[in-house]
Amino acid sequence: MAEKVAGKGLTAVDRYYQDYGGRARELKKLGKRIIGYLCAFTPVEIITAAGFMPFRIKGDVNEPITKADAEMETIVCPLVRSCFDVSLKGKYEFLDGIVIPHACDSITRNYSTISYSLGLPYSHFINIPHTTKDISKEFFKAELGTFRKSLGRFAGKEITDESLAQAIQLHNESKAKVRELYQFRKSDPPLISGTEVTKVLVAAMGIPAVEASQLLDGVIDELKKRASPPVKKLPRIMVVGAEVDDIAFIKLIEDSGANVVVDSMCVGTRDYFFDVDTDQDPLGSIADYYLRKLNCPRTYREWTGETYEEDLEARFGDIGSFVKDFEVDGVILYILKYCDPFGFEVPARMQYIQSLDTPVLYIEDEYSMSTIARLRTRVQAFLEILAR
Amino acid sequence: MEEQEWPEKYPIEGKRGRKYGTVAAMKIGPMVKAAIGSSVEAQQEGRDIAYAFIECNYDEIIRAMDIVPVWTENYAGICGAKRDAQRFLERAESLNLSRSLCTYALCGLGFDEWREELSEMPPDAPWGGQARPKVMLSSGQILCDPRNKWYQAAQQFQPDVPIYNLTGFYPIYERDVDFHETEGYYAKYITEDLRGLVKFLEEHFHKKMDWDRLWETLKLADDTTDLHVECRELRKTIPTPMDTGDAMNCMVPQAFMMGTQEGYSFYKDLRDELKYKVEHKLGVIEDEKYRLVWAGGLPSWFALSDFNYFWSKGAVFPVESTYNEQVYAVRELDLPKTDDPLEYMAWRWIRRWTYWYDMAKKRPGSEPDVERTINYIEQYNIDGIVVHEAFSCRSWHVGLIWLLNQIAKIYKPIPVLVLGKGKKKEELYREVPSLILESDIIDISSYNEADTRARIDAFIDTLEAVKSR
Amino acid sequence: MKSQYFAGVDIGSTMTKVVIMNQAMLASVIGPTGPEHRKLANRVMEEALAKANLPFDDITYVVATGYGRINVPFADKQITEISCHARGVSYLLPDARMVIDIGGQDCKGIKLNNGRVMDFVMNDKCAAGTGRFLEVTAEGLGVKLEDMGRLSLEAKSKVEIGSTCTVFAAQEVVAKLSEGVPLPDIIAGLHEAIAARIHSMVGRLRIEKEVALTGGGAKNIGLVKALEAKLGFPVLLPPEPLLTGAIGAALLGRDIVKQAAESGTPLPRSERHLQEATLFTQ
Repeated sequence: MAEKVAGKGLTAVDRYYQDYGGRARELKKLGKRIIGYLCAFTPVEIITAAGFMPFRIKGDVNEPITKADAEMETIVCPLVRSCFDVSLKGKYEFLDGIVIPHACDSITRNYSTISYSLGLPYSHFINIPHTTKDISKEFFKAELGTFRKSLGRFAGKEITDESLAQAIQLHNESKAKVRELYQFRKSDPPLISGTEVTKVLVAAMGIPAVEASQLLDGVIDELKKRASPPVKKLPRIMVVGAEVDDIAFIKLIEDSGANVVVDSMCVGTRDYFFDVDTDQDPLGSIADYYLRKLNCPRTYREWTGETYEEDLEARFGDIGSFVKDFEVDGVILYILKYCDPFGFEVPARMQYIQSLDTPVLYIEDEYSMSTIARLRTRVQAFLEILAR
Repeated sequence: MEEQEWPEKYPIEGKRGRKYGTVAAMKIGPMVKAAIGSSVEAQQEGRDIAYAFIECNYDEIIRAMDIVPVWTENYAGICGAKRDAQRFLERAESLNLSRSLCTYALCGLGFDEWREELSEMPPDAPWGGQARPKVMLSSGQILCDPRNKWYQAAQQFQPDVPIYNLTGFYPIYERDVDFHETEGYYAKYITEDLRGLVKFLEEHFHKKMDWDRLWETLKLADDTTDLHVECRELRKTIPTPMDTGDAMNCMVPQAFMMGTQEGYSFYKDLRDELKYKVEHKLGVIEDEKYRLVWAGGLPSWFALSDFNYFWSKGAVFPVESTYNEQVYAVRELDLPKTDDPLEYMAWRWIRRWTYWYDMAKKRPGSEPDVERTINYIEQYNIDGIVVHEAFSCRSWHVGLIWLLNQIAKIYKPIPVLVLGKGKKKEELYREVPSLILESDIIDISSYNEADTRARIDAFIDTLEAVKSR
Repeated sequence: MKSQYFAGVDIGSTMTKVVIMNQAMLASVIGPTGPEHRKLANRVMEEALAKANLPFDDITYVVATGYGRINVPFADKQITEISCHARGVSYLLPDARMVIDIGGQDCKGIKLNNGRVMDFVMNDKCAAGTGRFLEVTAEGLGVKLEDMGRLSLEAKSKVEIGSTCTVFAAQEVVAKLSEGVPLPDIIAGLHEAIAARIHSMVGRLRIEKEVALTGGGAKNIGLVKALEAKLGFPVLLPPEPLLTGAIGAALLGRDIVKQAAESGTPLPRSERHLQEATLFTQ
């Protein structure tokens, strides 16, 4: 299997980002089969273990949604609509299959629409519990077992525990490298911009895990050689949100005079900052990771501790840690309209962030960058507040 | 028992413009008002109150333990029907909750926050208000994901009220997986989750579950459902004795009174009424021109009068999908024998939700909702399909466009003669015409009466064109 | 010592405002914004300079704000209207803790502390809650926009307008009118609807007295009354509600110059592109 990366480091990143899906297309010609998926909750380790390449479907903030409307309601999350729209327009014609996890209603309720419309040889839905109880994990393991069998049938061979363990290791490696990459954001000013990081991570989600690790290695090498940029006191911003699969918004913040230094979003810390364990059977580890470790509001975290503040800390503590470790001056809560899991949590999240004595800006946006002028005013006003 | 004269018992002239509506439906308003009133009383008396959601498979447990349920979706529906939801929606918005979220939840959260701030009911709260609960029974099952987050959001202003979150999944329809292979571990999960719920309630309300009483409650609930099924079957007649407009009211006992004598009596009375009307050929409207199926979507609670408009055009709805998801007779479900009432509930749940799966597998391109709609079209002599897209509810409204498209693709029952190639007469089959209405469940600002009526008019024209061909 | 003069240019979606100040206001110009922001900015600036009897070179610092702020080539700095309104109000009405700005096509809520912005909310995508709402419905009713406020005060009873969508509302009021509902009652209902939307939006900031009202909406007595009813207390009104943004912009310019002088740092000034678009070119 050819694993060469044309160009290295940020040059390669740029290529993969601008031509998203290009590498998948190349690999397809070499005989690799590509399984598309939505959302960080898809167990990519199982897909890799089966011998396929997991490919995260993304939308296009600059492409007006047209074809999707004939089949998908407009009250659906605009990111999901965009993903569907560009898929219909042929952007991902190389896909052999699609996997949809029980993430949120916008994704779950569109399983039939997406799978029938794209008409791919393989489609599967994975039911993921909302609660993290032991019985939930047991159920989820069984459900993953069903997926494993189903995908194995499509692959023409059983997915063994060994191949799962290997896949877990490969994906964990990529994650470790992303964490290493983030260390370069801690300096003031950071050695890598938020725009560049988003590009890197988006590029990485469209190529196999092994190549992603190599790509990240290349970028890290380049960063080590980077000279420290001139010190310019710019506000250090953290972006909190669901999925941000384009640089447009991050770039807008940075062009307005700030540095985006850390985040809680996918693609970002949410899908890269925790490893899948290797101390239990592979399916159990995978179940544990997606059910309990992946911190996303679609999962209901049981109330622990005494006070409401303690509950908020348990749910959002990772934001607090990042604010501290990355010396964040202000948080931008970037939520899409029609997003249920995050939408319901906005008041709680804001209360938590404010308890850190950190200013927070809540923006509700529509994914498409036609709203950029409005965003610019809000971001600029927020930065003006921070500048005082 | 007093013998009442049949004609007097079911007056032809009804109230509120629904000339031929069911007498049973008219009882619902007072029933709900009484229930809400007694929940407020229960709060004042310090009794056991729980927030609960519709169709979560825990009704009988609540009733068997004498817990007073406050059905938050129902209360929001009442505010919507009374056209007094706006102030609660605005309140929720000022908390930074997006207007694009479920308007039931926004109404409920706006109401709760206000009630907590005042330490008493908001001024002029509809029907006395929504009683403060001691626990909240959340549900993250595949029915509606935002329920997972709603009560959690409410904890911001009532943090002393604990939540039990119940995940009642059922196997999703897959083309390459036989759900009979997976339902086993689903049943186990549901059973254990219900067991957790019982334990939670026992701990928080300091009382023990009487398992015999639970069995009795289940039996009563199942018998009630049987009656409800009978009612639905009776609506197959031409002319139909009951329409979706009334069904949206008559669903209340199925949704909120399962396991109670009141619920049972209601469907018994309704069944008797429909039987009488069928025998005497008393239809909802005299001149039934078009029979429609309400194939999906929650209704606009503030615009149920739209059904009157349909009637005025000679159109009736003998059947609907909405709120019929649980209405299957137990004898049809082939439930495994068990001594454990919770296991019984788990299997009953799974079997109801997977009722159409095997049938759908037999028809290429069909899925459970598609299959059900097609069956209704055939069993109820349906001429057209109507769905309602409520903008704030992704759970129940995403996929309706696909549903209509898919039915049109695979099911074309209407023969149409056309002149084909070489001027030869050909018989083509056209699909059943369909209509999409757009509004919301309780946010009236989304509703445009003129536009809605115009769409209905256009649809009637289409139905007429098909009929008179 | 040479007097210092500061200019604030506020290009809103409907109106463009310019003020020239030193210790006090020397000149102000208000004109309608057209599509050609650049030309308009030049022209309005010329008018203001003429009124103040000053040449352009005497202006020490120019700050541009508003929707069209990026189209003011002779500005030294662009600052958002949020910061500018806050600064303007804190100068004109020092007791204000909140500003509600109701513009032609947007509305904002700003929370202040010691003249600085603490938090803000904006609605600039939906006409409901902005001047546009009244403009469209007034047209539908055949009433002059400037009469709407006065007429609303003549209402005898309460009329509820259900639609928040401007287009739907316009249809709804026309229907009500033909049903015989008195015109003032309908107009009062419209004002109430806007006030409700605005109140709900600014409620996100935790409302605190005193509240100042700015923008075109503040000149509508009916809207002022409707908002006061919602808030439960009277609001503060600046003498000329349309100028707060421009005044704030000029004052922020003065603050910047003062700060630079005190700290000995050079003035943060982007190139005044006088060559590219001189005040006297077409």
